[in-house]
Amino acid sequence: MGPIERSFARHRKSGGMDRRRFLRRLGATSALGGAAVLGGHEVLHGAGLLAHAQAQEQSGAQGGHGNNGHLGGTVGEVDNARNGFDPHEILTDFDGGEVSKDSSGRTVREYEFVTIDKEIEVAPGVFFPAWTYNGRVPGPTIRAIEGDRLRVKLVNASEHPHTIHFHGFHSASVDGIPGAGEALPGESFTYDFIAEPFGTHLYHCHSLPLVQHIHRGLYGAFIVDPKQGRPDAHEMVMVMNGFDTNFDGGNEVYALNTVAFAYSKKPIEINAGELQRAHVINVTEFDPLNSIHIHANFFNLYRTGTSLEPDEFTDTISMGQAERHMIEFTYDQPGNFIFHAHVTEFIDLGWLSAFEVV
Amino acid sequence: MAASTASRETRFPQWLGWLLPVAAIAALVALFLVFDPIGSLREVPPVEVVAVERTVLSEDQITLELRNDGPDPVTIAQVLVNEAYSSYEITDQTLGRLQTATLRVQYPWEEGLPLGFALITSTGVTVEHEIEAAALTPETDGSTIAIYALLGIYIGVIPVAIGLFWYPSLRRASKRWIGFFLAFTVGLLGFLLVDTVAEGFELAAATPAALDGLSLFALGAVGAVVGLAAFEQFLERRRHGSHSAKSGAASAISGLVLAYLIATGIGLHNLGEGLAVGASLAGGEIALGTFLILGFAIHNTTEGLAIVAPLGSEVKRPSLWHFVALGAVAGAPTILGAWAGGFAFAPAWAALAFGVAAGAIAQVVWQIVRGMSRDHGLASGLGALGLMAGLVFMYITGLLTA
Repeated sequence: MGPIERSFARHRKSGGMDRRRFLRRLGATSALGGAAVLGGHEVLHGAGLLAHAQAQEQSGAQGGHGNNGHLGGTVGEVDNARNGFDPHEILTDFDGGEVSKDSSGRTVREYEFVTIDKEIEVAPGVFFPAWTYNGRVPGPTIRAIEGDRLRVKLVNASEHPHTIHFHGFHSASVDGIPGAGEALPGESFTYDFIAEPFGTHLYHCHSLPLVQHIHRGLYGAFIVDPKQGRPDAHEMVMVMNGFDTNFDGGNEVYALNTVAFAYSKKPIEINAGELQRAHVINVTEFDPLNSIHIHANFFNLYRTGTSLEPDEFTDTISMGQAERHMIEFTYDQPGNFIFHAHVTEFIDLGWLSAFEVV
Repeated sequence: MAASTASRETRFPQWLGWLLPVAAIAALVALFLVFDPIGSLREVPPVEVVAVERTVLSEDQITLELRNDGPDPVTIAQVLVNEAYSSYEITDQTLGRLQTATLRVQYPWEEGLPLGFALITSTGVTVEHEIEAAALTPETDGSTIAIYALLGIYIGVIPVAIGLFWYPSLRRASKRWIGFFLAFTVGLLGFLLVDTVAEGFELAAATPAALDGLSLFALGAVGAVVGLAAFEQFLERRRHGSHSAKSGAASAISGLVLAYLIATGIGLHNLGEGLAVGASLAGGEIALGTFLILGFAIHNTTEGLAIVAPLGSEVKRPSLWHFVALGAVAGAPTILGAWAGGFAFAPAWAALAFGVAAGAIAQVVWQIVRGMSRDHGLASGLGALGLMAGLVFMYITGLLTA
């Protein structure tokens, strides 16, 4: 009889995949990671104050408007404290490094990045065996001024070799690839170079296999300001990323700054009339394109942030992996305005955010 | 020697001898649970397997019955419906081994379109499940129960009853032709046996691995063979008195008893058939087309002929209520099957039921073959023709339901 085969085909499909899990080693190196972010770090552009203010807020709080019941999304809340980072803090957490001057009077910014294998919660209750710089995904946002000297020390406290490969100018010896700046487990390497050209850039691990080393969480924003500066603005870092939680070569979770629906469940508070400047960086693995679209508004697009004049005035921009742009916009009216990928399937899978204009 | 054995027995009571190994294995279990000697071998990643045993679609809501089919506990963290995170409710977020849970999602599903589910566990593993064509799950109300009963009557009861009307013709037939029809019945039952075994294996594969569907199927089959053999002995003893019971195993059983055995085997098969059709209907796998029903009806009419075939050579005509009973035994289980399949389908129970049916049919085939006379048996020209005709006829009418 024919129907029965069709009838039971669906039962056969329903078995879970018994996937070989990656070994997780937790916490062994967290003390090292903690040390790296201590000390006299300069915070540029006053962004730190706002980050501090947002950190004070209850991470799990749900305002009446913040609850996205009508927008769909995940069930429950991600425990930011357990993760050790908060997407709302990452948004405005610009790290100027430990600042000094060298003999020629040039500003030197020193950083210590510790690679730590760590399980992170990318959607409520869904844990991903991440590889991190300093215990967070994305890694710290490096912020320098064009011409500053950067000294970034990579301390490898994880189980695999890692590098930091910066998008920007530098010598071959500090390119951050296997053979030129790779730190084996337990070892370290210092990348010493001049921050240029100005723009919105990124860094990421370039060890092999590359898909694993990037997709597991080893990336971050690298922002170089022009010498003459830019107009005052409320600045944000938005790293578009995704997580293949079942390791089948496709993402189950998409997000801005790692946590699915983090900014739709709790919108980003911004001021009406204030210039907003977002550094949007695409590191999404497995998908050729990601994009950003803001509602009820248009933005000035500075491609790769490498010019002082806008390239385009639009409300949607698509980017391949490692493409990044600086966008500027102002909301005049208070209210809630969502923004999201216009690769629509990413919205349903976590890349949905909102501004609460006050 | 004898004296020393006796004295040993008195020192060592027999019941203690039986209990000692039991106590020893209990001690071993306790030691393992307390000291966990192989703990270091178990530091492997958890194996997360969840089976979706049943789906119920109501308006804008989908209910999934889940069972943890793996060795380790599983925590359901998020639910994707058609590649979108959906809000859901679940009775137990964490399922222990073999534990079940009910998951509900609000989703504006559309009739006839496929639905894909991915349950994301706490470790990021996805459990995928697909509904090929969404359809409203029939509710267990009066009218649906009646519709499923009617379905069972159409494809099971009526066709079998019609087939019974071949009895008067069979009675007038010669011994050679009765042999032909008995061989025809063997062919027909042989076809059903293969069909039932194949479906039983399908179900065994669909059963959650931890419940071991193949064992359930085998358990049902062996149980049916042994049970029917005992039943047949019981009937014969009642019929002929205790004196013939000793020789009963060697001699052929009466035509009426054989007819009941055939009806039982066919009834158990029809239970499975009803189960499959009911489950397919409820799951939106098949549409209840006129052609499908007619196909089953024609296919099953032959089953009535098979039941009355051994009565052809009986001298005395059985009373009318025997025919009613034979029809009910063979046809009515279709209704029960349709209900069970439509409202409470579980592959594990179905595998057991198909095992019972397969065992019953095998037992009945054996009884018929044993009872056939040597002159008009399967090896005779007409007998071989009948066997092939039964197989071919079932194959051809089976095409109508494919």
